[in-house]
Amino acid sequence: MSTPPSPLAPPTPSTTAAAGAVDARKTYGIGDAQVHALDGVTVSFETGKFSAIMGPSGSGKSTLLHCLAGLDTLTTGATYIGDTYLATLDDKALTELRRTKVGFIFQAFNLIPILTAEENIRLPMMLGGESGDKDWIDHVVATVGLGDRLKHRPSELSGGQQQRVAVARALASRPQIIFADEPTGNLDSVTGAEILSFMRNAVREFGQTIVMVTHDPVAASYADRVVFVGDGKITDEITDPTVDQVIDHLRNWD
Amino acid sequence: MSAATLIARKSVRARWGRTLAILFAITASVSFVVGSFVLADSLRATFNNLFQELNEEVDLEVRASQAFESDDARDPIDVAIADSIRTVDGVAIAEPILQRYAQLLDANGDAITPPGGPTFGVSWEGDDGLQGVTVKAGRAPTGSGELAIDKATADAEGFAVGDTVSYLTDAGTFEGTITGTVGLGSADSFGGAQLVALDLDTALVHFGADGKVDAIDISVDDGADVAAVQLAIEAILPPQTEVVTGEEVAQETADNVNQFINVFGTGLLIFAFVTAFVSAFIINNVFQITIGQRLRELALLRAVGASGRQVRWMISTEALVLGVLATVFGVIGGIGVANLLIFLFDAAGAGFPDTQTVLQLRTVIVAALVGIGITMASVIVPSRRAAKIPPVAAMRPELGFAAMRSRRLVAGAIVTVIGIVMFLVGLFLRPGGTPGLIAFAGIGALVLFLGVASLSSTVATPVTRVIGWPIEKLFKVPGSLARQNVARAPRRTSSSASALMIGVALVSGTAVFASSLRASLIDTLESAISADYIITDTGFQGLSPVVSETLAAVPELEAVTPIRGISGQVDGGRKDFGAVDPIAFDKLVDPDLQEGTVADLGLDELLLHKDPANDLDASIGSTVEVTFQNGVERTLTVAGIYGDATFGNWLIGLDTLAEISEAPSRDFFVIAKLGDGVDPVAGDAAVQAAMEPFPQANVQTNAEFLDSQEAQINQLLLVITLLLAFAILIAILGISITLALGVFERTREIGLLRAVGMNKRQTRRSVRWEAVIVSTFGALVGIVVGTFLGVILTLAVPDDVISKLAFNPTIIVAILVGAVIAGLAAAIYPSFKASNMNVLEAIATE
Repeated sequence: MSTPPSPLAPPTPSTTAAAGAVDARKTYGIGDAQVHALDGVTVSFETGKFSAIMGPSGSGKSTLLHCLAGLDTLTTGATYIGDTYLATLDDKALTELRRTKVGFIFQAFNLIPILTAEENIRLPMMLGGESGDKDWIDHVVATVGLGDRLKHRPSELSGGQQQRVAVARALASRPQIIFADEPTGNLDSVTGAEILSFMRNAVREFGQTIVMVTHDPVAASYADRVVFVGDGKITDEITDPTVDQVIDHLRNWD
Repeated sequence: MSAATLIARKSVRARWGRTLAILFAITASVSFVVGSFVLADSLRATFNNLFQELNEEVDLEVRASQAFESDDARDPIDVAIADSIRTVDGVAIAEPILQRYAQLLDANGDAITPPGGPTFGVSWEGDDGLQGVTVKAGRAPTGSGELAIDKATADAEGFAVGDTVSYLTDAGTFEGTITGTVGLGSADSFGGAQLVALDLDTALVHFGADGKVDAIDISVDDGADVAAVQLAIEAILPPQTEVVTGEEVAQETADNVNQFINVFGTGLLIFAFVTAFVSAFIINNVFQITIGQRLRELALLRAVGASGRQVRWMISTEALVLGVLATVFGVIGGIGVANLLIFLFDAAGAGFPDTQTVLQLRTVIVAALVGIGITMASVIVPSRRAAKIPPVAAMRPELGFAAMRSRRLVAGAIVTVIGIVMFLVGLFLRPGGTPGLIAFAGIGALVLFLGVASLSSTVATPVTRVIGWPIEKLFKVPGSLARQNVARAPRRTSSSASALMIGVALVSGTAVFASSLRASLIDTLESAISADYIITDTGFQGLSPVVSETLAAVPELEAVTPIRGISGQVDGGRKDFGAVDPIAFDKLVDPDLQEGTVADLGLDELLLHKDPANDLDASIGSTVEVTFQNGVERTLTVAGIYGDATFGNWLIGLDTLAEISEAPSRDFFVIAKLGDGVDPVAGDAAVQAAMEPFPQANVQTNAEFLDSQEAQINQLLLVITLLLAFAILIAILGISITLALGVFERTREIGLLRAVGMNKRQTRRSVRWEAVIVSTFGALVGIVVGTFLGVILTLAVPDDVISKLAFNPTIIVAILVGAVIAGLAAAIYPSFKASNMNVLEAIATE
């Protein structure tokens, strides 16, 4: 799994790309049982934009996200965040990168159950032994609008509230990029819309970069750009998508 | 506060059930360790102070000298020496000291035996004298018709000052009026002993002391130089006597008691460490399981930027918090345990004086090492595994479990082999003598337990399937669920069973050893000894020689011999000499004589075992120079060489012993045999009648003696089991937590089963029998390991002591029954939890 990236000289990351992959391949199993989760993906995501990755189950979209985020490693090829190739980093540096430059929002189980909402938000800074930008954090916390529920544990919050805390945590350390893995997958449509607006506002107002995996056309329509993945490859992309455009694209697959 | 500390702290609080269980296990272990130390230290301090106090007024003591240090009683000295000492300038008081056997009789003439101690007769000069006896009521006795007794016995028997009582001594039965009750400082008894105090002249006659006393205590005039007086006394002393300071005497007495306290304290400490070891197992298992359960949480931490080190530190901090808390509780608990034990001893009649509680810095340090040490050691592996969880496991937990796998089998096998090798080295090579033996064998056994614990997971599935088979037949669906749940997590099963395995192994190992000891004893009694009666003493002083003299006069008995002893030096090495009546001994014992004769053993002749005979290159007619403890030197001629060491390696005749020492002889035991054709019933009656006046003599037939040995062995096993009570309790607790955590993990599954129609009772049953399967598995592994260790241990003991290997099936059955009960107890809480789940909520659990 720790094979170095392909010697194919990757292009110098463009100044506008916050993250990307170059000929990324990820293979599970050996011989006949080989599965190519990623089969030569080259893609980049712009700074200050809200990008969505779409695809059916098993298309490799989640694997792509995990590898982009440094949570998982490629078989060959390369991924980068900013001007850093992830394969060049050891576990320590990768951890540091996740803590300082990357934010995460998962579908579920986003929060440490024994910590309060507020402690969860401050967790990445605390792990780094820093207090963070206090004004900024206060601002983020205020924007989340949890009020007195900040002192509650995740189990005492609704699903929507939990996801807001997760978004706030991702924003709090002002990461270069936030990766979101089906952030609204467990929510009803109204609550989901709230979270998505919240994320889009973070991009518009603070210039935050967000890359989101989703299979929901409505969620994808909040993005500035949608990249479609199928069978481990990039199949297509559209910018400033509407829900109908996305649905049309998905239909064309079948 | 750092993130690691915050999370550790919160985790300790959030998972309070687990926290309490771990705290209990460590606190119990630390309490046990601290209790052992505090008890020993407190007793030592108390007795040392006591002896200092008792000898406070004694500046000097005159007594028989010894040629070398020996536990043997010193020869008595002439009471007249006191008169000449009184003529020495500077001597204020010279008080002869005499202590012999005496025992009070109740109104029916039956002996009164104190529950825990011996019975003494002493000479006592009253308050003016030097002995630290405290008058509780009345006054000191004067004249032959008076005595004082200890207050504890007076209270227990309802004796009051002015009552007339009888007492028995080596010289006969006497009667006197109680003039006072006495005690030792604040205590009402003398360490549980019964005391009859007489004035010196009466004591000399009534104790049959023949004008001889044990020692003479001396106090000097105010302002006199003790050293000068000591020199002056030394100048007038007859040979074979010495004058020493009171402090030296106090120190010697204290040392003797300390020796006993040390053995006792060390024994307790060993079991305390076993308890700590078992706790470490439980804590390790609990952490291991909870880390599995917290997998996603820990992966999430990694994803948001925690390093592997931080995760490891988090788990370690959690353990550290628990360890520190438990150490504090344990120190407090240990002081409580020590005081409780002292109270219990006291209640059992030990008659301790007021004890002070001594908490030494060393105790606190060891407590911290144990409390913090075992918790930290228990989390080394779990925290390392936790650190290996990859961040991606936050979304895909199955990847996390794969990363945490360890190579347990190979490690387990290696550790097991190392343990066995250390155990063997300790027992057979004994590097560095006894301490080396204990260290190697002890640590080897512990290492072996570790190895077996991880190896046993390989057999857990098949073995538990077999154990579960009858349960499944009996309880159908719940039984089948129990059986499958145990089998599907073999590692967890073996880990939680291992804690019980350790306790069981120690008990069953001891059982093998004890049974073999008993079997060897039977063998010896049957083959080498043809005695019909074995007379032992019920006190701790040995039998009066009058007992064997009386028995010798019983016509129904053909042969009677006491076994006495004295220590002597041969070529500078200390040897224990046994003294017997040669003619009787010849009829009673077959010592596997190889050369010479037993019956004709004469004055200054010696029977020698073949081993020392080889060492000395001695044969019949050779002479051996011996210096006995009282300084007497003799040249003994070898009259026979024998091969059975049951009665020791050096045997002389009673007449030779009498020539060597005048010390009041106390017999270890007496053996006797009926004459040919004497009806055993008539013989029994005759022996019982002859022993009527000797309540301290316990007459047993061969069979009864064996029974009493067996009772002693069972008592030993019981004591060991009691000492392991904490460890066993913690093991049960461990099974209980493991099961509760398992129930928690299977919440959804149990909810589904309930939804499709399993009732509460069936749910409880399935959990209950799961616990029983686990505990039975632990007991089985323990029996196997323990029996293995017991066999090796037994083989390591020289053939003289243990010649046969024997097993005790009753104990094995008892252990298995106990294991089932332990399992049922462990299941109480988890089965309740499982059956009281809300079905809907359970199904909704992710």
